[in-house]
Amino acid sequence: MKGLELCDELVRRAKAKGADEAEVYYLRTRKLEAVFEKNDLQVPKGDTYEGIGVRVIRRARQGFAATNVLTDEAMGDTIAAALAIAAASPEDPNHVLPEPSEARPVPGIYDEMAESLALDDALELGRRFVEAARGYDSRVTIDSASFVVQIGERAVANSRGVLLSEKGSNFSCVGMGFAREGDDVSSFDVEYSGSCALADIDPEASGRRLAEKVVKALGATTIPSFKGTVIITPYAGGDLIAEPIAFSASAENVQNGRSRWKGKLGASVASALLTVTDDPRIPAGVGSTSFDREGVPPEPLEIIKGGVLGHYLYNCYTARKDGVRSNGRAIGNDQTTPGIGTTNLIVSPGATSLDEMVRNIPKGLIVNRFSGNLDPVSGDFSGVVKGGHYIENGEIVKPVKEVMIAGNIYELFAHIVAVSREVVTIGDMRLPYVQLEGVSVTGK
Amino acid sequence: MLDLLKSAVREAPGYAEIRYHRRLQTAIDARNGALKRVERRTLAGAGVRCLVDGSWGFVSTTDVTREGLRNAIAEASDAARAGARLRREKARLAPARLGKGEFIYQTCDDEPDIATKIGVVLGAERRMRASSPLVVGSIVIYTEYADEKYIVTSDGAEAHIVDRKPSFHVFATVGRGEERETGGKGWGVTGGWHDLMRKRDLEKMVDEAVDLAVRKLDAGYAKGGQYTVILDPQLVGVLSHEAIGHTVEADFVQSGSVVKDKIGEKVASDLVTLVDDGTMRGAAGMVLVDDEGVLGERTVIIDKGVLRSYLHSRESAAAFDTVPRGNARAFTYRDEPIIRMTNTFILPGDSNLEDMIAGIEDGFFLKEMGQGGQADATAEFMFGIAEAYRIKNGKIGELVKGITISGQAFEVLKSVDAVSGDFELDLGAGHCGKWQPAKVDAGGPYVRCRVTIGGRHE
Repeated sequence: MKGLELCDELVRRAKAKGADEAEVYYLRTRKLEAVFEKNDLQVPKGDTYEGIGVRVIRRARQGFAATNVLTDEAMGDTIAAALAIAAASPEDPNHVLPEPSEARPVPGIYDEMAESLALDDALELGRRFVEAARGYDSRVTIDSASFVVQIGERAVANSRGVLLSEKGSNFSCVGMGFAREGDDVSSFDVEYSGSCALADIDPEASGRRLAEKVVKALGATTIPSFKGTVIITPYAGGDLIAEPIAFSASAENVQNGRSRWKGKLGASVASALLTVTDDPRIPAGVGSTSFDREGVPPEPLEIIKGGVLGHYLYNCYTARKDGVRSNGRAIGNDQTTPGIGTTNLIVSPGATSLDEMVRNIPKGLIVNRFSGNLDPVSGDFSGVVKGGHYIENGEIVKPVKEVMIAGNIYELFAHIVAVSREVVTIGDMRLPYVQLEGVSVTGK
Repeated sequence: MLDLLKSAVREAPGYAEIRYHRRLQTAIDARNGALKRVERRTLAGAGVRCLVDGSWGFVSTTDVTREGLRNAIAEASDAARAGARLRREKARLAPARLGKGEFIYQTCDDEPDIATKIGVVLGAERRMRASSPLVVGSIVIYTEYADEKYIVTSDGAEAHIVDRKPSFHVFATVGRGEERETGGKGWGVTGGWHDLMRKRDLEKMVDEAVDLAVRKLDAGYAKGGQYTVILDPQLVGVLSHEAIGHTVEADFVQSGSVVKDKIGEKVASDLVTLVDDGTMRGAAGMVLVDDEGVLGERTVIIDKGVLRSYLHSRESAAAFDTVPRGNARAFTYRDEPIIRMTNTFILPGDSNLEDMIAGIEDGFFLKEMGQGGQADATAEFMFGIAEAYRIKNGKIGELVKGITISGQAFEVLKSVDAVSGDFELDLGAGHCGKWQPAKVDAGGPYVRCRVTIGGRHE
């Protein structure tokens, strides 16, 4: 593969220019995209990208530079720029590159179908999504939608002997829309489906789901304020549950004092109903990978098991600081230095069906989507509920508008009283419906 | 380069635009006693857009040779032709004042080298940690885009643009026991390092961020409800940009935003005149020539409470039978131009801030945006507030935390009963997101209005 050879050669060039250690990350992508706006095709787009990122360590100082101009001269300049940054930076003994280890391929992350698709096919798949949504109900407007086919190759090499590459594909269908009847405009809603395998994407079903949600949100009324039960749907859970967990489990945030979970390994941080796993090895999973941004192979991690915090997420820098081995959670691309993040984040399903959950609620609110602000440091959140529905006496009675919810998510994790059996996959997240008690609901 | 692009664009079957964009991005990020990352990125290439039979095709490539551009034009026009079979509404382009010649936004002489910048960032981060024993997290980030573009269209735009947009973010986290609070400041300009440093005093911003976070530790929460509030220039910018501005972007209007068919109607208080203006020198959203090659101009969106204009690309301007004023923007060469704001603000009025505060019996004085902030086509919005004070009987009282404001933005603008004579653009630090990021700015005077405060029920 070209990427691997280029990485290997540039690592040697960087060493020859004076780097003690060097890492080169390579990315090549081909992307086909059909963009729709206002129920109509906006533009078909094609992009071909190839770039490299060079990280050097010299006398315990790190430098990084990247370029997508792959001429010999530009790549030489990039190595020189990385070395110049290293020279101007302070020493930090925690800058370290990983030793090589075996990376087992994840099945299904490269669908060869992608190679044979053309812009015409992306147009057709996107059209099916939009028409399914519009066909469901004429009041539906697809404000924007896109169907994206992406194939690529990523490679990483370093001066310790890491030499890895992987091909991947990604198909995604995302739409945003609302329904309108006279002066009544529903909340915006979103529907996203993504996979490494084309067969997993059903544009018609996806379009109908979006249409169904926005039509249901028509005729929304205000409700009075209360403090009590809410059901966080998977889409709202991405912001309210997955994000704060990923944030507070990040070793970087633990080390810099921004995580509430510092010193909490082995301690209870949530209700026993909450189990959260980060699994990089799901076949065809959008977040699946056999090696991370630094070339470390990640394994599945139970971040929270039965409410107890099990693991932090590490890259090499933070692992060195804590005197442990990286668990392969470095994220980023050729244009960035390694950060920390999850792969496929999974909140384990519970024992209750969504129907049962609703039936057991005397008064409550279904939070379909959360549009607001969650401070992942303190856990305080407050924001508008989009496409929410009011529950009374075990029944969903009406859509609501101008309703805000507020609370502290870390405190509320202890007040999870039910988790649904149903799980929805949203890209690299798999989330059930989660019932929380003690949430402030501000109506009118 | 210009000649190369001009000869390539001539080979297109219909309308074509070629935009060569080379961006040198520098990011310096110091946090918690360490230099977390310094990155220098080159991202360069050409974005080629063709219009055939009323349909667009867009292709981006790193290959900017004659051959590479020829291939990109062929691919983009083929894609456009294929799209034309699907597209119902045929795109037309409005005539526009096109940019020709040199557009050098700011001359940035004596720009310091990267070692100097790294030193300043590290110094500010040290100061943050030293300023209070309660500081448990310290972040100082410098970001800079140095852009060079050549834009050529088949109908006559020929612009060479040199632009630089730097910004600073400082962010402090303080802790006491399990409690954590944060305070942050951000600012950005179009210009050089020294322009950025003149806009705000870095050390003062560091001190203020820490001070706010420390004071929030002892602050209480407020009870939610409807209140009369004062919005500071930054929040007026947030309201103008996020809640109003997006609904008047013509693409949102076409898909049924709340202001559809409302041109000429009263949508705000007589005291409100709201504009978008890419020509504001030094503001972070400065755009003298947009990415369709159209010259930037001031657009009066709301004139003394009456809705006058939407924001347009050449395509939407044709559909609305009006003229575009430089609001079609692309973030990198890989993005196609879409309708974006530039600098969006409310014009100052003639009230005095002290009098405005004195007129509030029970309300809040609200300063700067906290985390988060969203709005949609209905102009319903929600913003987190960074710094909020109670106002009781005309006097500013205690700091309260965890505050968000929400409402319907046009209802809020109708409730405006006082606009101060102050003026500042203060939203230049971050990016506006709409499929792709954009550097924008926004602001205005202090404004008194009614909003819903989201707090906590005790």
